[in-house]
Amino acid sequence: MTTGKIKLTSSEGTEFVIDKDVGEKSILLKNMLEDVGENDMAIPLPNVTGPILTKVIEYCTHHRDDPVITQDDDSKKTSDDIDEWDSEFCKVDQGTLFELILAANYLDIKPLLDLTCKTVANMIKGKSPEEIRKTFNITNDFTPEEEMQVKHENEWCEERTT
Amino acid sequence: MSASGTALPLPNDLEATWSFLESGIDQIMNRLEQGLSYKRYMDLYTGAFVFLEVIHYQVVCNFEGGIYNYCTSSRMNPGFASEPLAGPGSNINNNRGANLMGSDLYARLISYLERHLTQIRAESEQYMDENLLRYYTKQWEKYTTASSYVHHVFRYLNRHWVKREIDEGRKTVYDVYTLTLVSWRDNMFSAVQHNVMDAVKMLIQRQRNGETVETGLIKLVVESFVSLGLDDADSTKSTLDVYRDHFEKPFVEATQNYYKTESEKFVSENSVTEYMKKAEARLLEEEGRVQAYLHPTTFKNLITTCETVLVKDHTDIMWDEFQNLLNMDKLDDLHRMYLLLSRIPDGLDPLREGFEKHVRKAGHSSIEKIAAEGADANMEPKTYVDALLEVHKKYNDMVQNAFRGEAGFVASLDKACREFVNRNEVCKSSTSKSPELLARFCDSLLRKSAKNPEEGDLEDVLNSIMTVFKYVEDKDVFQKFYSKMLAKRLVNGTSASEDAESSMISKLKEACGFEYTSKLQRMFTDMGLSKDLNDQFRDKMDKDNEMSHVDFSVLVLGTASWPLQPSTTNFNIPEEVEKTFQRFKMFYQNKHSGRKLNWLFHLSKGELKTNYIKASKTGYTFQVSTYQMGLLLQYNKETSYTFEYLKQSTDLTPDVLIGQLGTLVKAKVLLMEVKSEQKVEVEETHKTVEEDRKLLMQAAIVRIMKTRKTLKHVTLVQEVISQLSNRFKPKVPDIKKCIDVLLEKEYIERVDGQKDMFSYVA
Repeated sequence: MTTGKIKLTSSEGTEFVIDKDVGEKSILLKNMLEDVGENDMAIPLPNVTGPILTKVIEYCTHHRDDPVITQDDDSKKTSDDIDEWDSEFCKVDQGTLFELILAANYLDIKPLLDLTCKTVANMIKGKSPEEIRKTFNITNDFTPEEEMQVKHENEWCEERTT
Repeated sequence: MSASGTALPLPNDLEATWSFLESGIDQIMNRLEQGLSYKRYMDLYTGAFVFLEVIHYQVVCNFEGGIYNYCTSSRMNPGFASEPLAGPGSNINNNRGANLMGSDLYARLISYLERHLTQIRAESEQYMDENLLRYYTKQWEKYTTASSYVHHVFRYLNRHWVKREIDEGRKTVYDVYTLTLVSWRDNMFSAVQHNVMDAVKMLIQRQRNGETVETGLIKLVVESFVSLGLDDADSTKSTLDVYRDHFEKPFVEATQNYYKTESEKFVSENSVTEYMKKAEARLLEEEGRVQAYLHPTTFKNLITTCETVLVKDHTDIMWDEFQNLLNMDKLDDLHRMYLLLSRIPDGLDPLREGFEKHVRKAGHSSIEKIAAEGADANMEPKTYVDALLEVHKKYNDMVQNAFRGEAGFVASLDKACREFVNRNEVCKSSTSKSPELLARFCDSLLRKSAKNPEEGDLEDVLNSIMTVFKYVEDKDVFQKFYSKMLAKRLVNGTSASEDAESSMISKLKEACGFEYTSKLQRMFTDMGLSKDLNDQFRDKMDKDNEMSHVDFSVLVLGTASWPLQPSTTNFNIPEEVEKTFQRFKMFYQNKHSGRKLNWLFHLSKGELKTNYIKASKTGYTFQVSTYQMGLLLQYNKETSYTFEYLKQSTDLTPDVLIGQLGTLVKAKVLLMEVKSEQKVEVEETHKTVEEDRKLLMQAAIVRIMKTRKTLKHVTLVQEVISQLSNRFKPKVPDIKKCIDVLLEKEYIERVDGQKDMFSYVA
């Protein structure tokens, strides 16, 4: 595939030069390049830091030849279908993982957003509320009444797991 | 965020965010041609993004037999998380917050578009006609291009807030691009569409009148109207309602009026053929119009309308003209009429009827013509078949070319041909005349003849015979004649080509089935079997040392398949052949006991070699019938027989015997003494002698009178007798008769006053 290069600037001003087709994994960049057209100017990404952008580019480069999924079907989605490369890719600290989610959401890269969210979902899966709080370092701000009500509302799933 | 160093508004400030976004939208909507930098684009996107940022994600996963929904939905923007209004960690509240923000942004966008479009509409009011079109289409293009930018800038709104609203069944929320279309429809289109359409109709009318117009404008209007068709039930789908109601309907109405007026005027001033050219051109033009700048779905409606106005409303004059065109063989005009009338239901029916009548008439008159020319009773088969074929070919060509081989016209042609092939002047006494003549024509082609066509041509002629054959009703009659003539060709060995014979039979088989030709085929089989049989017989004779001095060959033909009649007369085989004949009978009975052989001597023939007269060293060879052979062989013993004797020796019936002898006598192979005939001849001779004598006597009288001038009757008679006595002895009464004849003819005259005295008249 013959493709031009595009320049990206991270929030701290670091410049990245990547292949256009890698960049177009981001729907945001794809639309913008279509609308504005290509030029030599750098594209500022004020919401993404350099290290995170590096990770995102790594992901997009690995998946550059994946077919574009236009219509996704939520009901078929599970968190168990992560392949080896992707799961290695997500072995990062929690902070980085959340920043990746933010970046995927901002840049509009659906497969990366799916992957990172599934990874988080897998971290939650099978854990009690207390364990989850511990995992994500969350303080319990429910009053005891609120907690009872939430438990009552979610009884249906408690029964299944026990 | 702070590191980016941009002047983005704070995400929780609606007013600041909106005014930031609005200036960007305004730039896109009004000044896009001045360009938009990556940075400005990204800032606008980011501004909308951080204002709305939310992660709403749904995972359905399977584990331990149950299905669970995990929803992670939170505002993760650290800046926003510290905002006291939202409350830390409260998912539900955060979602609600994002919802409110989405609808705020959406509402602001709607009112912006309203304001923007009101302005455009106000400006449009100064334009009319073509200028209005130019303005409308220019604004439309600018607006839709800009809208697609705005749509992308607001993609985050589309992805989350709009998607959820639509998922929840809100009918009045659209994605941003659709919203811009809805807005155009409600604020711009509804106000100007009437004037726009008037201008479009005007422009098209000018084009129809022959002017060159800017069709690109119409094309854009069409595109615009099509884009504005939004399905109220599902905004992601589009319908053609707007285009159909506001463009197609008025346009087709205008078309109808235009062509109604034009065609009525044209018809009153021009011939029908000219009108057809006009209508054809107009229909073509309208078809091109759809392709050039209308929506393809308009084709049916527009063309049907044009067909009604241009063709259906003028069918009567075209139907009336049809016969004239046929009479003059105007193929182009016929073709044009066909094409026009085939466009409307039932348009061709009267043509098909008229065509059938016309072909029938042409067939009848063609046959009447040849019937009048030739001897009616002895019609030459070729002339007849050629006449039929000529009519068929002419009108078959017409069907194929002018009427495109259309099935209805083919049927009409077939019907007409069937009629005139079976019922015409030549076969007015019976329909079986056609098949008979056709079979005779086949025979003339398949029989050995100097006039036989070349093999390639023959195949063509045979095919054309099949064309006529197809129409013949009494196919059984054809079969009778054909098999009779085929039998004759085979028995007499006069068939020109075995290939041609079998080709013809396979054609007949194809047309009428196996049953129809089974007997004909059986005849060929018998011919083959007979050949083998003769070979076997000859081998047997060789083996038995029964060498015969007679070459003998025989055809054994099945009675059921061959249309051959047994002879009406008995016949005694000549003894020279008798032995061979008996041996063959034995041979055959041994081979096929129980079969009965009937000998058809009347169809047999033989060759005799003469020893008595020799034109050359080899002598003559006579090709004779078996009967003649039986007669002639007897003359090896004696040179003269009476009729009675021959009758007894051959056992032939008298009429057959007379016929056979007649041929031999005519050819002077036999001489005949018949008494009655001699008498007549003598009398004839006597008569001529009398005549000759009269002339001689008259000549003598004239000669005598010329020298003597006048003479007495008695003296004259004596002189005549003495002059002619060396030839014959004239009788006195005969001389008197001659004198009378000469007196009458005024060679001599009586001398007045002297009895019995004649004088010569100079």
